[in-house]
Amino acid sequence: MNGRGAADAVAAEWWKLRSVRSTYWVLTATALTLGLVLLLGVQVARAWDGLSAADRTKFELRPLQEIGGWAAGLCVGVLGVLAITPEYRTGMIRTTFTAVPRRGVLLAAKAAVVGTVALVAGEAVTVGSLVGTRLVVGDRRFADQGASLAHELPGFAVAGATPAVYALIGLALGALLRSTAGSIVSLVFAWHVLPLLVYHLPGPWNERVGSVMIGGLPAQIAGRDAENSIYGDLLPPGAAAALLAAYAIVPLGFAAAVLRRRDA
Amino acid sequence: MIEVRELTKRYGATTAVDRLSFAVRPGTVTGFLGPNGAGKSTTMRVLLGLDAATSGEALVNGGRYAALRRPMREVGALLDAGAVHGGRRAFDHLGWLARGNGIPARRVTEVLEQVGLAGVARKRVAGFSLGMRQRLGIAAALLGDPGVLMFDEPVNGLDPDGVRWIRELMRALAAEGRTVLISSHLMSEMELTADRLIVIGRGRLIADTSVRELAQRFGRGVLVRTPRPAELTEVLEAAGGSVEPAPGGPATDGRLADGRLAVGGLDVEAIGDMAAAKGIPLHEVTPHSASLEEAYMALTSGNAEFTADAKTQPTTEATARRTS
Amino acid sequence: MIDAFAAEWYKLRTIRSTAAVFGAVGVFMLLCVLYSWYVGHYWDGLSAAERSRTEASPPDQLLAVTLPVCAVVLGALTLTSEYATGMHRTSLTALPRRLTLFTAKAGVAGGAMLAAALASLAAGFLGGKAVVGDRALPTFHGPAGATAAHLLWVGLAAAALTLITYGVGAVLRSTAATITSMLGLLIVVPVLTRLLPSPWDDRAWSLLPEALPGQIAAAPGTSGGEGVLPAPVAAVLMAVYVAIALAVGAFSFVRRDA
Repeated sequence: MNGRGAADAVAAEWWKLRSVRSTYWVLTATALTLGLVLLLGVQVARAWDGLSAADRTKFELRPLQEIGGWAAGLCVGVLGVLAITPEYRTGMIRTTFTAVPRRGVLLAAKAAVVGTVALVAGEAVTVGSLVGTRLVVGDRRFADQGASLAHELPGFAVAGATPAVYALIGLALGALLRSTAGSIVSLVFAWHVLPLLVYHLPGPWNERVGSVMIGGLPAQIAGRDAENSIYGDLLPPGAAAALLAAYAIVPLGFAAAVLRRRDA
Repeated sequence: MIEVRELTKRYGATTAVDRLSFAVRPGTVTGFLGPNGAGKSTTMRVLLGLDAATSGEALVNGGRYAALRRPMREVGALLDAGAVHGGRRAFDHLGWLARGNGIPARRVTEVLEQVGLAGVARKRVAGFSLGMRQRLGIAAALLGDPGVLMFDEPVNGLDPDGVRWIRELMRALAAEGRTVLISSHLMSEMELTADRLIVIGRGRLIADTSVRELAQRFGRGVLVRTPRPAELTEVLEAAGGSVEPAPGGPATDGRLADGRLAVGGLDVEAIGDMAAAKGIPLHEVTPHSASLEEAYMALTSGNAEFTADAKTQPTTEATARRTS
Repeated sequence: MIDAFAAEWYKLRTIRSTAAVFGAVGVFMLLCVLYSWYVGHYWDGLSAAERSRTEASPPDQLLAVTLPVCAVVLGALTLTSEYATGMHRTSLTALPRRLTLFTAKAGVAGGAMLAAALASLAAGFLGGKAVVGDRALPTFHGPAGATAAHLLWVGLAAAALTLITYGVGAVLRSTAATITSMLGLLIVVPVLTRLLPSPWDDRAWSLLPEALPGQIAAAPGTSGGEGVLPAPVAAVLMAVYVAIALAVGAFSFVRRDA
């Protein structure tokens, strides 16, 4: 009975998500980030051909490969916000609460649907960026592309999960703030402004706080250092993975607790 | 004064308003009727300059609304009571409207008192019930003390007290010589409030008439109760009347069973005289006009023949008047 | 026109999101002072050699990073919040001259953002400077004229961003779409330009709205030299961005059905 109710709630949320236009706009924007990465890849490959041998050793492809997943984080984060705030604006949330009165289950259902879509989209963009750029540059031997695709894939697969974390944070923010504008801005703050401000902190705090920023966690899980990034690299892989999971779960749990207590 | 001339509004392939013409005169409450989707709100939106007409024109006081410098002093309108920012207080919602039209701030307090919202003036609109929002919307319409007023479904969400309040307010506003146009899909409400009626369906004018004319045009008849229905039917039909058994049926409490007949084509006097001449007793003779509701249903029913029939009449009249 | 301005100003100041935006600006201003206190504290613990090598971000850096976000939100909400509730129809009924209404909204939003930005930048900078005192931090003790010019242009850029977002909002009519696309442009595009091969990375980056104030009047005491545009060209470019966004927005606002 319980499981059945939850499954129904998930099915209902899935129906809702795929029947609004904003979902397709957001997913189109997500796909565009991959397209843009590949387009830039073509440009970079051309530039590579014109470089001297010395310059080529300094020219890296990795930043381009990682940027798609980063931008996808914003897109699916907005997807998470839009999974709930329009319901508050239109008053439809009351219909939703009437249909699924257990609000924890409701939020979990929304999280399952949004999280899954975001995970698929995030992996598609992240892994797509890796494989796509490799294909685009062909046999040009970039200094940072020595490892085999199979060797790089696990790291990128982990990075591909971070957009889903932003989607769940967006959902939690939307449930807490109930305002589209407020939630998107808070999301952007967490996604970009905060890491940037942390980077501007005087040392050693920029490195310490930078190590617990979401964007820096995949590299730490993969055991890479934070050279050329605004993040830190002080966490062991296990702790980084646990922290990434906590970023996904804790805000949602908090939102569920608030949702249960608050009048609709 | 509101004038709509040959107004057409298309949204893509859909024609919302189709060559619609009518005028609303001062001193009367004019009901603007039609089923949902008939084009009432579209017409009002074009009148208020919110949507652009595809062709034709919609004028208030002889000019385009969008050209008015301080429009709220000439035209007050309530379109969608829900269209307010929930985070703003009632006083502030009217405050900015007053500012934008050079209306003194004391009017804000006055209209809030007039609509009964003085007590919640400092409350945020988000907490208002539908009825309170409706009152706030009416307050906004009254703010500039305008000569022309337009209300889209003003009784939506109001309780019986509120409905009566609106009705009296509308009548009072018209009595002061203002032009009042109220759209509704509830004929029963318009029957009590309006003097004149403009009925539209599928974007076209169906009737432009007074309430009384409309009621008379449809189903004038007489209800007759008699213990000898068969004989009376024979007599009346011989005199050219139409007679049908009326609902209600014979009484069953042991007394002489009465037949109820609906008689058309003959008036009360003729029926009484003929029954007296034949010695048929009559227990009841009631002139019966169809309720406006029935007339409206007949006018706007999906029956294409009927709709077309009813429509040609006023339109040809109007055309004849214009061309003469 | 005056009525329209007065009405829009009334609207702006009676809404909580305005208070939230300007409240955030105030908080970041206070954080500028807090940051300055920390820098001063940090400075005291450094050796002379370390001090000569340290370049602390100027006290207004925090505002320079966050003001654009606030500017985008204000510019978007000015119009899109009305579309969300349907109140734009009420507004247009009260003020049916659309170009006048559009101008009034732009003027009020842009003006309010400019005032808030300039006030917070001045207060944040002066507060930070006072907190740091006579410690020889070059980014805190630039010449008054250059500092004022820099802060003025950071403030103007924030107001310009409000107007650009407002124009975009008039076209998109959706809060989520407007804020997301503008912040996306503001944040993602600069990173993309950095990926271009040199010298195209600098050239492309120089054209971005957020790169303009630094090219017109760089923060005194920073290494500077970012961007390739001469100051007047950068200033004209800022004006052109605003003009294009407002023109497109006005066209959409005046022509389309409400």
